[in-house]
Amino acid sequence: MNTEPPAPSGPSVPSGPPVFSVRELWKVFGPKADRVPADPDLAALGPAALRERTGCTAAVRDVSFDVRKGEVFVVMGLSGSGKSTLVRCLTRLIEPTSGSIAIDGEDVLSMDASRLRQLRRHRAAMVFQHFGLLPHRSVLDNVAYGLEIQGIARAERRERAAEFVTKVGLEGMEHRRPAQLSGGQQQRVGLARALAVDPEVLLFDEPFSALDPLIRRDMQEEVVRLHGEEGRTMVFITHDLGEALKLGDRIALMRGGRIVQLGTPEQIVGAPADDYVRDFVRDVPREQVMTVRSAMRPAGPAETDSGPALAPDATVHEAIEAVVRSGGTARVVEDGRCLGVVGHADLLGVVAGLAPRTEAA
Amino acid sequence: MSTTATPAAEAGAPLTGGVARHRTALIGGAALVALLLGTVLLGGGGWPAHFAVDLSGPMGDTSDWITDNRDSHPLFLYFFGHISNVVVLSVRAVYLVLLAIGWAGVTAAAGLVAGCLAGLRPALTAVSAFALCGLLGMWVPTMQTLALMVVAVAASVLLGAVLGLAAGLSGRVHRALRPVLDTMQVLPAFAYLLPVVLVFGIGVPAAVLATVVYAAPPMARLTALGLRGADAGVMEAAASLGATGRQRLLTARLPLARKELLLGVNQSIMMALSMAVIASVIGAGGLGDRVYQALASVDVGAALAAGVPVVLLAVVLDRVTGAAGERIGAAPARGTGLGWAVAAAGTVAVALVGRCTDRLSWPDAWTVDIAGPVNSAVDWMTAHLYSGIPVVGGTADWAARFTTWVLDPLRDGLQWLPWWAVLLLVGVVAQLIGSWRTALTAVLAMAAIGVLGVWDPALDTLSQVLAAVAVTLLAGVAIGVVAARSPRLERVLRPVLDVFQTMPQFVYLIPVVALFGVGRAPATAAAVVYALPAVVRITAQGMRAVDPVAMESSRSLGATGWQQLRQVQLPLARPALLLAVNQGVVLVLAVVIIGGLVGGGALGYEVVFGLAQGDLATGLVAGAAIVCLGLMLDRVTQPVGRESRDA
Repeated sequence: MNTEPPAPSGPSVPSGPPVFSVRELWKVFGPKADRVPADPDLAALGPAALRERTGCTAAVRDVSFDVRKGEVFVVMGLSGSGKSTLVRCLTRLIEPTSGSIAIDGEDVLSMDASRLRQLRRHRAAMVFQHFGLLPHRSVLDNVAYGLEIQGIARAERRERAAEFVTKVGLEGMEHRRPAQLSGGQQQRVGLARALAVDPEVLLFDEPFSALDPLIRRDMQEEVVRLHGEEGRTMVFITHDLGEALKLGDRIALMRGGRIVQLGTPEQIVGAPADDYVRDFVRDVPREQVMTVRSAMRPAGPAETDSGPALAPDATVHEAIEAVVRSGGTARVVEDGRCLGVVGHADLLGVVAGLAPRTEAA
Repeated sequence: MSTTATPAAEAGAPLTGGVARHRTALIGGAALVALLLGTVLLGGGGWPAHFAVDLSGPMGDTSDWITDNRDSHPLFLYFFGHISNVVVLSVRAVYLVLLAIGWAGVTAAAGLVAGCLAGLRPALTAVSAFALCGLLGMWVPTMQTLALMVVAVAASVLLGAVLGLAAGLSGRVHRALRPVLDTMQVLPAFAYLLPVVLVFGIGVPAAVLATVVYAAPPMARLTALGLRGADAGVMEAAASLGATGRQRLLTARLPLARKELLLGVNQSIMMALSMAVIASVIGAGGLGDRVYQALASVDVGAALAAGVPVVLLAVVLDRVTGAAGERIGAAPARGTGLGWAVAAAGTVAVALVGRCTDRLSWPDAWTVDIAGPVNSAVDWMTAHLYSGIPVVGGTADWAARFTTWVLDPLRDGLQWLPWWAVLLLVGVVAQLIGSWRTALTAVLAMAAIGVLGVWDPALDTLSQVLAAVAVTLLAGVAIGVVAARSPRLERVLRPVLDVFQTMPQFVYLIPVVALFGVGRAPATAAAVVYALPAVVRITAQGMRAVDPVAMESSRSLGATGWQQLRQVQLPLARPALLLAVNQGVVLVLAVVIIGGLVGGGALGYEVVFGLAQGDLATGLVAGAAIVCLGLMLDRVTQPVGRESRDA
């Protein structure tokens, strides 16, 4: 018998101390912005009422989360939800109004200018939606730009940059100008520039939104590959739900400056926190995201020994195939132990979007 | 008046159309009331004498005081005196270097520098242009002008870059500086002469400083524009990598603005050349002085011999800096170190050969005298084309008729109008095109002219400006509309317009004097020729920029070409047309003022007279009136919401 809900962390994510720890973060734009988070009455106002009363706009409202070491943390939301502001607050490209941010336990908001530069130079590098490349420099010098800012000598930084140019698959294009590259290639340059400084965290601000769908898919796979090879911590901003589900170990879904739900892709799709999220994930092919762990029911006495075996994090999509082939139920097995079984009805229930039985039980 | 506001409004949003009509009616009503009140209360006549302030007394005293104290007062001894000395020394030093290199060395250097910066064709242009200057017997004046230019351009680029940097990095400086620079760019060159002469006296320092002040604004504007326009995404990326403020400026903001910086240098050079030639009136020497002297004695041949090198210099400088800008903007600068080394070595080698063979000054035997033949040609023209040709009449007849039938009635009409009616007219027109702000400035500027006591000559100048602007706009818009529709005509026109737009204002006086003699009509003609290219170009660009979808949809509804032009293109190109009017007015004024040198009379003549007679008070008053007139004309024609305008 095992009815415990799915583990809060994705199965592959190592747990440990958080890289970024964000608490009660606010970013308010407008005159005398400080008073909004400080005053509970103002903080409770909706966007329209707040603008009318104070002339301010709250881009990020009372946001708290941890980014764990080695995970891909996706912040997802529609335009205007505050996600780009949020990621810029992490390295104070935009100065937060109130709250706290810590990187490896060190307070970011109390850093002086030089300490903050050190943070930006060595610990967190960012990839931008519109690339932000220097048009008058070659690919190689663009990739080396972060190292140049750190004061590394020309020969050494070029040598190191060349390595990362190769890593992102741009060898042979070192001496081209950004304008001579396609959008996807330009973003590879942006990626190489961020990687070249060997940061602890990579921050992506909608990096692939400006690219064609096919190239976007290539780049997403590139990120998956890089993450698999290096296990670097990533914070990834996107408005594309498919991209979020594909890349994210955990997803924070934002609306109107607040995080409305934070969880694994499976939790977001399988147990939407409210109607907004439910509406949002309605068209997601659920069988691709949901795992059998959330679809299974306790095994009946006759079922524990028969049928094909599946891993708990196998997708429903995979389970359907196994169940159809066997004609009966399939077993969910972890470490030789049978956690439960899935049959036609359980799998169809997931596809149809009915509440999982485990929750009901 | 009402028709100017309504067509665009109808084509645009119907909502604003209603407001615009309403506004036009309001302004019209207010004007009518003011007209009636004025007639009853104020009566007619020119500017009343008791409203005018006679400034010639105090100004004369000031000028006398400065003349007396120039050699003794500490302000001059320790400040202006040093500036003056530095300028004289630098110009002299550059001039001596140019002479020491010799004609062959200078020509070789010009070719090699042009080759390094811009490529083979500009290099060939540069070499042949310098050779032609020598051939025309103008080598020494060309070098004098060049020496003055080198110093003035260096100083104005530096000054402009510093101001532009400040304005580019600080919003407050930008807001403070922008209206000043905007205004400086619409003032005629002549307005700058008197104040510097007052301080420095006639001579090279005054000429250089006038040139610097005249040429610095475009550099400052474009530097600020480039720095402020830096791609925010790139700047953010630099910040995200932990760049310091200095690193951001040097590695990102400045390189991102390199196109604007180079364009600024190009524009500064062209403005400086224009002014360096005009400043011959205050002792610049060189080519401009030759043109000036020749025009004073109506010696068209000599004027042309000096005018051609000016044009050549302008074309070479424009092509080389323009091509350099495009090159550096587009491609990586590779192997430039080697190129420069070759250029330097080549120049030194040629200069040494020139020294050893004792051929430093241009050989007299290699000059061609064009003044004689040109003058005989002009004499022939005077005899055969000036007048009495059956049916068409002669050029002098045309000039006389234009004066009698257009200029005179216009001038007399303006001077007959009651002074308050002129102010009212200025205010209403400015209000219709722009906003109440521009209208207020325009009316105040016009009133200031009256207060200065030069109401009548200013209206004389204004009449010439209005006549020239009318002709310019009729011809310019017509040509522009046709050029926008016919790619073939556009191809033919483009090189012509390019050359015409690079020529200094002064040069335009030479052909009109040859054709029409002296007087107000030739001055007007020169103004028309000078302003026409800009108007044609802006009109054609505006017409071509009209949304092709709007054009296509009107064609799909079966509109004829004429209907398309009237109902779609002209209304949609309204901003460009208004800009063309504004530019046309500013350019026309600049040349009408200079026309004072060839018998245009009015304000321009008073400036020249003041300089020639040492009567600075008269000149300064006229100069101030020119400033006011320029300000008034610019504001009257300034459309609302003009954000950035490239000169």
